[in-house]
Amino acid sequence: MDAEAGGEEERPRDDEILAFHNQIRAADAEKLEFVGDKEPLSVLAAEYASGSPVFKAKVEKLGQTYVAIRRARGDGNCFFRSFMFSYLEHLLVTQDEVEVARVERSIEECKKTLIDLGHAEFTFEDFLVIFVEQLQSVIQGRETSISLETLIERCRDQYVSNYVVMFFRFVTSGEIRRRTDFFEPFILGMSGMNVVQFCRSAVEPMGEESDHVHITALSDALGVPVRVVYLDRSGDTDDKPAEVNHHDFIPVGSPQTTVDPFVVLLYRPGHYDILYTKQE
Amino acid sequence: MSTPSRKRLMRDFKRLQHDPPAGISGAPQDNNIMLWNAVIFGPDDTPWDGGTFKLTLQFTEDYPNKPPTVRFVSKMFHPNIYADGSICLDILQNQWSPIYDVAAILTSIQSLLCDPNPNSPANSEAARMYSENRREYNRRVREIVEQSWTAE
Repeated sequence: MDAEAGGEEERPRDDEILAFHNQIRAADAEKLEFVGDKEPLSVLAAEYASGSPVFKAKVEKLGQTYVAIRRARGDGNCFFRSFMFSYLEHLLVTQDEVEVARVERSIEECKKTLIDLGHAEFTFEDFLVIFVEQLQSVIQGRETSISLETLIERCRDQYVSNYVVMFFRFVTSGEIRRRTDFFEPFILGMSGMNVVQFCRSAVEPMGEESDHVHITALSDALGVPVRVVYLDRSGDTDDKPAEVNHHDFIPVGSPQTTVDPFVVLLYRPGHYDILYTKQE
Repeated sequence: MSTPSRKRLMRDFKRLQHDPPAGISGAPQDNNIMLWNAVIFGPDDTPWDGGTFKLTLQFTEDYPNKPPTVRFVSKMFHPNIYADGSICLDILQNQWSPIYDVAAILTSIQSLLCDPNPNSPANSEAARMYSENRREYNRRVREIVEQSWTAE
């Protein structure tokens, strides 16, 4: 009995184990900014130079369509972070005010969804406001307008960057719960959890990784198409040339089914980065 | 000084005053919005019925990005509550999300009382008794309930 009690004394508490785990993860993550610099695609070729032939072949194939990559920190928020930067950068470059107005209407819908689901507005409004501020500041010719350099700085800033990521997590969770009947079969099959448990444990906390359920929900809720290019081992056979697969997430009810998504992400197992398409 | 966390805590407080969930109350200490006192009433028709359990919530400037440190001040007997009153609850640790406000935190703790998680025991005696001898466990809970009326 005494020995057993002594054993319990020795064992670190759950919160201590967790703090240690977080410390390791934080130290690891800080080797890279939340979003890195734009790098030529050749850095990928270098990364896989001594890797498996299927990866090498696929990286070469990628070079036919894409020119550059921008890495996101591997802290479990990389999908949301990549989406944030890729989307805002596109708006800054194209000055597409019609798209800004459209997404602002989608954000109003997201807000209604969250309130209908029982969230007090004050729990999400700070996060929403920060995202809307970024949307408005990428359009030029206003007092609050920002340059690409400032956009990069902001997406690297802990406060702005994490608030936008958190807003996307609210939106994603709201969309999944609003359309429980649609999402539940995917979630059950993948995780064995119901929709509420899934949102609580895999969507709402910062640092929880994303997969196709999160991407579908965010893309649908904001009405923004997303292309994910897969760099993995699939098609690993000698007798046919490696194909690089991609999947387009087209928002439900979107008229633009024939348009290529402008948010393009590179998926490698467990991680998302941003890809840049070759201009004609 | 008005920081984002303090502004947010004022709104948390307003909500708790105007629209309090059943069996819960909480308020910041007089001169410190970062330190709250709260009371959770034991849910009706359970062994916890009638208990008034006091807690403190200590917030930091990182709130709502980081959870508060929540501790029972009242003596407790529960599989997921440590001897020092701190609570083993996922949303207060690795599953925290700014989606929770103070009302939601206190509601989650209230439901933990009757619905312990035997997989992460903080009090191994309570955890063992909960699964092996529920009658004795309930008797110990009733003792805690009675102590909650008199303890300072």
